[in-house]
Amino acid sequence: MSEYFSNIKTSATTIATGMTITLKHFFNAVKRKGDAGIDDADYFRQVDGLCTLQYPKEAIPTPPHGRYRLYCNIDDCIGCRQCERACPVECIAIETIKTTSDDLEACGKTSGGQQKRMWVPVFDIDVAKCMTCGICVSVCPTDCLYHTPVADFSEFNVKNMLYHFGNLSKIEAEAKKKKLAEQQAQAAKEKAAAGGAPAAKPAPKSAPQQKPGDAQ
Amino acid sequence: MQELGKVESNSTRIIRQDDKRVTIEKDLDTEHMVLSMGPQHPSTHGVLRLECITDGEVVVEAEPYLGYLHRCFEKHCEKIDYPAIVPYTDRMDYLAGMNSELAYCITVEKLLDIEIPRRVEFIRVIVSELNRIASHLVAIGTYAIDLGAFTPFLFCFRDREHIMNLLEWISGARMLYNYIWIGGLAYDVPADFKKRVDEFVTYFRPKAVELYKLLTENEIFVKRTYDIGIMPADVAINYGWSGPMLRGSGVKWDLRRNDPYSIYPELDFEVPVPDGKFSVVGDCLSRHLVRALEMEESLRIIEQCLAKMPEEPNFNSRALIPKKIRPKAGEVYGRAENPRGELGYYIVSDGKSTSPIRCKARSSCFVNLSAMKDLSKGQLIPDLVAIIGSIDIVLGEVDR
Amino acid sequence: MSSSPSLNTWSDALSGFSIGWFPLGLVIVAAIPLVFIALYALTYGVYGERKISAFMQDRLGPMEVGFWGILQTLADILKLLQKEDIVPTAADKFLFVVGPGILFVGSFLAFAVLPFGPAFIGADLNVGLFYAVGIVALEVVGILAAGWGSNNKWALYGAVRSVAQIVSYEIPASIALLCAAMLAGTLSMQQITLMQAGPGGFMHWFLFTNPIAWLPFLIYFISSLAETNRAPFDIPEAESELVAGYFTEYSGMKFAVIFLAEYGSMFMVSAIISIAFLGGWTSPLPNIGGLELNTMTSGPVWGAFWIIMKGFFFIFVQMWLRWTLPRLRVDQLMYLCWKVLTPFSLIAFVLTAVWVINH
Repeated sequence: MSEYFSNIKTSATTIATGMTITLKHFFNAVKRKGDAGIDDADYFRQVDGLCTLQYPKEAIPTPPHGRYRLYCNIDDCIGCRQCERACPVECIAIETIKTTSDDLEACGKTSGGQQKRMWVPVFDIDVAKCMTCGICVSVCPTDCLYHTPVADFSEFNVKNMLYHFGNLSKIEAEAKKKKLAEQQAQAAKEKAAAGGAPAAKPAPKSAPQQKPGDAQ
Repeated sequence: MQELGKVESNSTRIIRQDDKRVTIEKDLDTEHMVLSMGPQHPSTHGVLRLECITDGEVVVEAEPYLGYLHRCFEKHCEKIDYPAIVPYTDRMDYLAGMNSELAYCITVEKLLDIEIPRRVEFIRVIVSELNRIASHLVAIGTYAIDLGAFTPFLFCFRDREHIMNLLEWISGARMLYNYIWIGGLAYDVPADFKKRVDEFVTYFRPKAVELYKLLTENEIFVKRTYDIGIMPADVAINYGWSGPMLRGSGVKWDLRRNDPYSIYPELDFEVPVPDGKFSVVGDCLSRHLVRALEMEESLRIIEQCLAKMPEEPNFNSRALIPKKIRPKAGEVYGRAENPRGELGYYIVSDGKSTSPIRCKARSSCFVNLSAMKDLSKGQLIPDLVAIIGSIDIVLGEVDR
Repeated sequence: MSSSPSLNTWSDALSGFSIGWFPLGLVIVAAIPLVFIALYALTYGVYGERKISAFMQDRLGPMEVGFWGILQTLADILKLLQKEDIVPTAADKFLFVVGPGILFVGSFLAFAVLPFGPAFIGADLNVGLFYAVGIVALEVVGILAAGWGSNNKWALYGAVRSVAQIVSYEIPASIALLCAAMLAGTLSMQQITLMQAGPGGFMHWFLFTNPIAWLPFLIYFISSLAETNRAPFDIPEAESELVAGYFTEYSGMKFAVIFLAEYGSMFMVSAIISIAFLGGWTSPLPNIGGLELNTMTSGPVWGAFWIIMKGFFFIFVQMWLRWTLPRLRVDQLMYLCWKVLTPFSLIAFVLTAVWVINH
């Protein structure tokens, strides 16, 4: 019998405790947490009261190296395709064309001063596939591929999630490819003239490099 | 009088496959009902499906069906490089990504036999303990919601948000960090990180007390979980339970103490086990209590780590990361204490390839869930919900 | 209505107003509470619940539609109107359609006997309290029809639980109300209110005029939570166990009707508890010497104001409880009803009887 009454008593007291807590929060609702980011010194000073933000109008700032939208600074890309190989979900598609010797100047240098030897007509990132793991960023030798802290990049059409970063238009790419083929043919001819028999060898060697272009 | 069959309790009737169904009352012939609970059910925490055979409100038998979230983790690992597996481990137990990463990385480091900088070890422990708190907050919050209390859930998520922000600040991502790398870390922590974590600890302590008062001490909550789903210690060990589930059954087993890794031997913390005063050892309330108490222990660990962490200006957290990871041929099993129990990786390397030829994950949730059939026998449907909630499954890890 | 001629001259005049044979004034008088209830259910009930729960949980709640989201409920209703009204193929179509209707009618029929002021009362039955308690039981039929007609296992569970729950909780609730009826010596809602009217304001209320009334008051409040399926007794619709309970299969406007019925009955039980123990439409302010606060704040319009305020207060408490407490289990619910509330209500009944005899 005493257990019966003590049960009722604990129920009443614990329910009352819970209700005081919620009521305290109810009256605390006049205060609002600001939208200071975690790197702000005031971050933990504004924690009482309502803590939700109205998203499109207010947002918690993403930290500077937040890993969200993948971006490629194509001017620095040397077309090494390491990111393409490293990507676990295969969201990066790259096509490269070897630069001809007279085009090296036009192809330019990276901001680090490295001579670029590849045209990159196709550098497509499917951000809908990208899982923002950051492995591609870690393997990039010129640091041209990085995540930006832009977290909201939703689209109505999923096709718009395919970002093109290539530095050549289709027509330009065709021209470059033709030029490369001509030069290689020239080189092959010269080699054939010089060495005779093993003339056919360089041609198949360069073939795989042309293949992505051919597929286009 | 007709012979009545074996009746285990007043309300439970036993079905036998070979036998006919046994009924208690001859005149009122009731039928069992098959109730498919899930995969789209609010309290199955994702896509678990329970096929319950019910007799009114009593669950005669409940069989869990898995695999709705199967993503071929183990097969994937055989195709991708060692460092590229780290983001996949995040996606197993997505509520405790840091802990999963830590378990994987220490396993590969064991295989490679490499030295880890001391500062890296401290940062690893801080982030994984922060993530443990975040994970327990979700466990407690969703448990509250399973039992009908909505407000504690949102309080938990409000506090978890701060941890998410902290971890986003250092790693760049909110849930799937890819922060702990084999041999190091993706980045060193920002300059203010120590101060902010310290502020978080001071902020969180009173909130944890408030949560305790609002939920754990609430008589209705206690009544819903007390003496429900009891798992005796020996059965729990036989099932291979680990983590808060095993500790809830009264076994003082914590890999951070029993098979120490990283810098845990240097740290002072308790392994909370229920004393049987507030709860029956092994019931749902014990498991909940263990989680609630572990949060406080994690806070203590974080405080100690913050005090002991060596300051190194211009510290390069990637300095010791091997360029190409190609371990010698061999096999290794490494394990760590996940918020849900023992998370182990068994990795086999052939010495030639840059990806493991076999990578098996020993998932704690999967093992813990295997006892579901035993636990659910003869329980009421609301208790079944309470039991699933107390197991604290993450289907990402169960199905992998 | 004949019972209070002195208080409602103004509304009597309005009630008597008619154009030809059409009693326009009477229709207006009868319509005011109903219009109000509809407005309340649409705006305060749903919007208030969302806002109150949000503030208790450190959230903002609806903010987008209108100033601080005040038009959110209208937007929701528009959305629900546009939604497809699905009737499952395997459902018992008649019961499925009729269920929400019965539920709605059951919860709103009781409003007929609620006095919203000295004159605002649909029907001043001499068995008003009895009628109000009885008509609520009609909801059970609606819930059972909805749950059974859905042909869904979760809905069936919800319906069966609900029936057991409501029927059980009728007993302590009725006994608790009987205490109030004993104190008043009548079953007429208007008479019960008038018994608690006076220049002393709240001092004439049953809750404060005798030392026992808090017990039936508390018992009725707890039972009313169970009768309206509110937390912590919301086990018929326990969303984490039974998906949505007896209205799992409902969509569109039928769902909205069930929702409105729930909020309607929430106000109904709040009004009944205010009438039985807190003086209904009487003003809580006492006359203090020359400052005649009570007289100033009495009258037909003030009456409606006070009862609505009292109703809102109890609705707030209901929401407050809902957003604080976990849910009970079925057997615990029955334990609470049969082993705690019923014995205590019987004790309260006896004590009240003793008190009434001695005074």
